[in-house]
Amino acid sequence: MKNLIFRYLNFRQILIINLFFLFVTIAFISAVSIGSYDISLKQFFEGNFSDLDNIVFKNIRLPRVLLAAFVGASLSVSGACLQGLFRNPLADPGLIGVSAGAALGAAISIVIGSEIFSSNIFGPYIIPFFAILGSAFVILILFIITNGFKNSGITYMLLAGIAINSLAGVGIGLLTFISDDTELRGLTFWTMGSFGGVKWTIILPAIILMFITIFWTFRFARKLDLIQLGEIEAYRLGVNINKLKFNIIISSAVIVGLGVSLAGMIGFVGLVIPHIVRLVGGVNHNYLLPASALSGAFLMIIADMISRVIIQPAELPVGLITSAIGAPFFLWLIFKLRKS
Amino acid sequence: MSIEVQNISYKINNNQILKNVSLTIDQGKICSILGPNGSGKSTLIKIISGDIKPQKGFIFFNDKKLNDISIEDRAKIRSVMSQSQQIFFDFSVREIIEMGWIEENRMYIKSNLNESLQRVANECEISNLVDRKFNSLSGGEQRRVHFARTLIQLYNKIELNNKRFLILDEPTANLDLLHELKLIRKLKEKADEGFGVLIVLHDLNIAYNFSDKIALINNGEIKYKGLPDDIFSEEILTSIYKTTIKVDKKNKRINYY
Repeated sequence: MKNLIFRYLNFRQILIINLFFLFVTIAFISAVSIGSYDISLKQFFEGNFSDLDNIVFKNIRLPRVLLAAFVGASLSVSGACLQGLFRNPLADPGLIGVSAGAALGAAISIVIGSEIFSSNIFGPYIIPFFAILGSAFVILILFIITNGFKNSGITYMLLAGIAINSLAGVGIGLLTFISDDTELRGLTFWTMGSFGGVKWTIILPAIILMFITIFWTFRFARKLDLIQLGEIEAYRLGVNINKLKFNIIISSAVIVGLGVSLAGMIGFVGLVIPHIVRLVGGVNHNYLLPASALSGAFLMIIADMISRVIIQPAELPVGLITSAIGAPFFLWLIFKLRKS
Repeated sequence: MSIEVQNISYKINNNQILKNVSLTIDQGKICSILGPNGSGKSTLIKIISGDIKPQKGFIFFNDKKLNDISIEDRAKIRSVMSQSQQIFFDFSVREIIEMGWIEENRMYIKSNLNESLQRVANECEISNLVDRKFNSLSGGEQRRVHFARTLIQLYNKIELNNKRFLILDEPTANLDLLHELKLIRKLKEKADEGFGVLIVLHDLNIAYNFSDKIALINNGEIKYKGLPDDIFSEEILTSIYKTTIKVDKKNKRINYY
């Protein structure tokens, strides 16, 4: 079993993955305790938690940090998978429009679906469902216009992403225009990104689904390696290309759709994290996918913590922080690509 | 055991690429395909590899129809080397070679892989390159790494060797004289071990000296096939290549300039 998880990894990569795991644990513990209301974990273990401590910990802090970790992991894994599948270092769920598709799906369900679904017991799950549909739809469009991902040149993909992003922008703008006040508040949330105000009933199933999907994608690591040789070569080595594409598309749509529906549009994580992970330890996907998941979780926990404490007691949208880090990195990447 | 190509025809739109092509690739022999540019050599390789399906005709691998062999099983009985695409991410040479490694029954045994990797690196004389980045290598060095990847693919289960095939589309492009010769000699060794080898070549001299069988293809048809000594006549070669070609049968030399 150990062999199956760590196969094709070298010692250094195993070390890095373990280190990232340690970082995530430390970040998790600090993020749970630090905030506009500090909780002492020492008291938690000693058993003398006040009622207020208990409520903040259980109902506010814990779900929030957990969600941040999983959304970070999801976006990073999806970025790594899409970059591998497209054989394109600039593929990112945000840049190529997958997140925008999810946001549009969510927006549609908020504005148009609110009357139809809100009374239903499935009400809370409608938004994530539509978000997944939205992101799957965008990947489908990309699949069609790139002729089955064959013409996935860097420029072509990014231009397609610009077009899809603006189309989704039109949709969201239109929905904003016709929405009423409550709906508008819900919509604004998506354009900024935040982990605040999440409830266990929603995030528990989402986290479980994300967890399963992320682990499921790890199975495709070697196939994603092989496809780097070119589709025909991978096929000759025994990879069923169409099945692989389908699996990656579905898993990416699920994790990005869930992430966006619960936390809004958070840009650049899927682009930045896999690149840093590659720089640190190598490019093979057996290493890249788990390491991206862990470091994405780490980055998002920290970014969310910063967003909570930097202008206390108010909150900065976490999307602002990730974009502030990610956009300059993106520029640097373009610069580097031009030079090579 | 052999690969049987039976009456293959292939066309794109109304453009006939291959017409009634039949060919047998025998175990333990090197079969070379020769022909001018655009004669359909690469398409034939793609069809035999299973990348594209012909509109007419059948391929049999060891008496089993190619269509009935799963994609995974195909990778265990034949390995293909072709003109490769650019690799975007910074893989090491070791990782590129490892990509050719077929896991046995979904099992991964690290010691087997490491041992095979060392052996194939020695065989192809690229041990000094193994820890370098693939994209930092020259074109010729990259070809040699791809060749090693093609070989390691058939390293498992040696008892199957006389049922397996190597298919190579111009493997010596970009290689210098010495490495071209070494690669061809390695293929000869592999044929002696029992592999069936199918190779597309441009160099007539190499084809003459190292092939057991020649197929001359032009305008999508196999015009001549047979033993090198029979095929390499001035008359045949001149008619195919449309330039005067002199053949020195005694020394197995071909002159065309």
